[in-house]
Amino acid sequence: MPDRKMFWRIVRRLFAAQRGRLLVILLALGASAALTAALLNLQVDARDRLTKEFRVFGANIIVAPRNTKSSAVGAVTLDESIVEKVRQSLPPHASADSYLYLVASVSSANSSEPLNAVIAGKRTERIDQSPWKSAIVTPRDDTNLCLVGAKAAQQLHLQPADRLTLKNDKAEETCISEIAEARGDAQDSQVIVNLDAAQRLASLPGKVSLIQLSVPGTPRQIREYIAALAQNTPAADVHGLRQFTDAEAKIYTRVSGLLTATTALVLALTGLCVMAAMTNVAMERKNDVGLMKAIGGATRRVLRLFLAEAALLGLVGGIVGAAAGLLLSIWLGKTVFGVAARPRLIVYPVSVALTILVAIVSSYPLRRLANISPASVFRGEA
Amino acid sequence: MFLRLVADSFGRRPRRKLLTGAALALGMAVVTAAFSVSLDVGDRLAHEFRALGANLLITPQADSLPLEIGGVDYRPVNSGSYLPEQDLGKIKTIFWHNNIVGFAPVMEVPAEVSTASSSGAPVKTTMVGTWAHHSVVLPDNRTYATGMDQTNSWWHVDGRWFHDDAPEAIVGKSFAARNNVKPGDTLHIHSADRSISLTVTGILSAAGPEDDAIVAPLQIAQQLANKPGQYRRLYVSALTKPEDDFARRNPTTMNAADLERWSCSPYASSIAYEIKQVLPGVDAHVIRRVAEGEGSILTRVRTLLWLASFAALLAAVLAVGASSAAAVIERRSEIGLMKAIGAGSGTIGFLLAAEQLLLAFVGGGVGYALGIVLARFLGEKIFGVAPEPSILVFIVILVLAACVTLLGSAIPLHRASRYEPAPILRGE
Repeated sequence: MPDRKMFWRIVRRLFAAQRGRLLVILLALGASAALTAALLNLQVDARDRLTKEFRVFGANIIVAPRNTKSSAVGAVTLDESIVEKVRQSLPPHASADSYLYLVASVSSANSSEPLNAVIAGKRTERIDQSPWKSAIVTPRDDTNLCLVGAKAAQQLHLQPADRLTLKNDKAEETCISEIAEARGDAQDSQVIVNLDAAQRLASLPGKVSLIQLSVPGTPRQIREYIAALAQNTPAADVHGLRQFTDAEAKIYTRVSGLLTATTALVLALTGLCVMAAMTNVAMERKNDVGLMKAIGGATRRVLRLFLAEAALLGLVGGIVGAAAGLLLSIWLGKTVFGVAARPRLIVYPVSVALTILVAIVSSYPLRRLANISPASVFRGEA
Repeated sequence: MFLRLVADSFGRRPRRKLLTGAALALGMAVVTAAFSVSLDVGDRLAHEFRALGANLLITPQADSLPLEIGGVDYRPVNSGSYLPEQDLGKIKTIFWHNNIVGFAPVMEVPAEVSTASSSGAPVKTTMVGTWAHHSVVLPDNRTYATGMDQTNSWWHVDGRWFHDDAPEAIVGKSFAARNNVKPGDTLHIHSADRSISLTVTGILSAAGPEDDAIVAPLQIAQQLANKPGQYRRLYVSALTKPEDDFARRNPTTMNAADLERWSCSPYASSIAYEIKQVLPGVDAHVIRRVAEGEGSILTRVRTLLWLASFAALLAAVLAVGASSAAAVIERRSEIGLMKAIGAGSGTIGFLLAAEQLLLAFVGGGVGYALGIVLARFLGEKIFGVAPEPSILVFIVILVLAACVTLLGSAIPLHRASRYEPAPILRGE
């Protein structure tokens, strides 16, 4: 179709004729696309990252025995089959620790008399990474290491790598001690051994006192996970650790609200900025429009020409800018969260589309040129 | 003459000037809002984080090893040492007393409970004595009300909390369900040779071991344990600054200047250190799980918001710069005319700069006002509290507006100074 060929030829000439100006518009469009893409990506990523970041608080879900008839230490237990069920239900990046508590007498070579302490048998079902600096490592199954809380170590006059003897009724276990950093909670006064040793010590093979789960996710996802797990394990009582789930939900809503508000503001501002620049440029096209009309171009065709130009500019600016923006957001993610932000593929087409839209909308004032008469343009009046 | 020219330029094309000014005001409004919210967000979030409860734990220095699982101490009453309740008012006398949001002492007593409805044998459980909402008399005779409702805000009571001076108690959810206890019931509690009757005022869901216990006024627990005026542990909830490497240094090895700087920052560890100074015979620990998590998240969120504010700033700079550049380009023929009738480049530049500056101050001022309104709206929407308008932001905004408009018009002005008047006037 010769008509279309001519159309594109004019578009090409339009681009070729004013390279300098074109570059400025492309730069503006590209910069806005980059900003849009970076911010959108960061916004999507940050919410996700925040839910993972909350796991520095450690466990947020507890699976405990349902019918505790008495509150004595280690009196009621769960069967290890439930641990298996829980393990299978774990979403990615979640971890679970099963604990068995008992009170046993602890003695070391340096302590004159044995001391009663809470022994916590611990087994970690899955660790992705423990983001918490002073998080207590689980003694490995194949070693006989035990982790002694700071307070307990102090009372036992313990040196690192001392041999520790744990006694409960007739059962006896020995282990090599390792002294944990003070944490300011119950674990400071506990001795942590691996679960098997605790089970032997308590003569409760295959039993655990409770399971602590650390599951990342939005408050809603966590609620849903708790409900699903509760249904799956009717023998146990599954509940969120409200101290953390409540605060997390509160903070998550606040932060995501803030992010959304700032992102919306910046996007609106960027759009306006590009629009102002494009409109200025469009108005300078008065002469071109006048000339085209003078040699017989229909208003609609002339307008279509400029809209096509704007859309093309938007496309190129968007494609280049959004790619740059995604790279930018990866770097920004690294500075904020220490982990590179994962580029979300959905962000890319969205920012390109937004850029094109802004480019076309900002050429809209060209419509006003439709009414001008060529003669007045050439006289330099309009 | 100069002023007249400037005034004339505004008078002649009010619509143009209005548009440029509006772009400026809008840009500056967004920057103001973003900055005000970012400045405020640290404080706001620190308050939100107090929903996590206590971040400091106070225990007796010379104590036997606690038999503690998940926050409940299972030691018998006569083992271990206790702390005097009457000293507690001193906590509000430390340098950081305004940062102390609340505190609550705790004492556990192993007890046997029989209910009116249950005919069977008494049930063994733990009674946790604490403050619900207690008025503490401070050393300067003011009173300060605090208790579990502040330090453990996630505790949900169905019914109402007990009164601290009445023989009342709230009962953990699981305990209540197992023993069929309802609000209004009477519990008979025995420990050793003492016994006491309490009215149940509410059912507690704490999602912790307290769900299996009875929570009663500290005074009642003291009576039952025969330890009048004493407590075992104290939870303190304080607003703190996220810890950095400096915060983790040992205060005993610091030199005087460092120690001063350290104790003048509200780190959790420096607040703990000060509490240790006013309460004799205590050990103050930072609850790491809460303090570290809070610190790391707070730092991240703050950086994130500053980044977003910076993006807003960038966008605003672009918008304002572009519109002021456009404003100068538009006036090419005017510049040509002025040059033709003998104005030097300097005079023209000065004239235009004065115009732009006037616009910047008016636009910046309006933008600041708009931004404050926007920030108030956002703050109230998100945190329920509006950020305080800050004079610092106002100054920054005005300077910024001036710089950006001048910078934006500098490049076209520079080019304009090289224009030959004749072609411009011919319309080329």
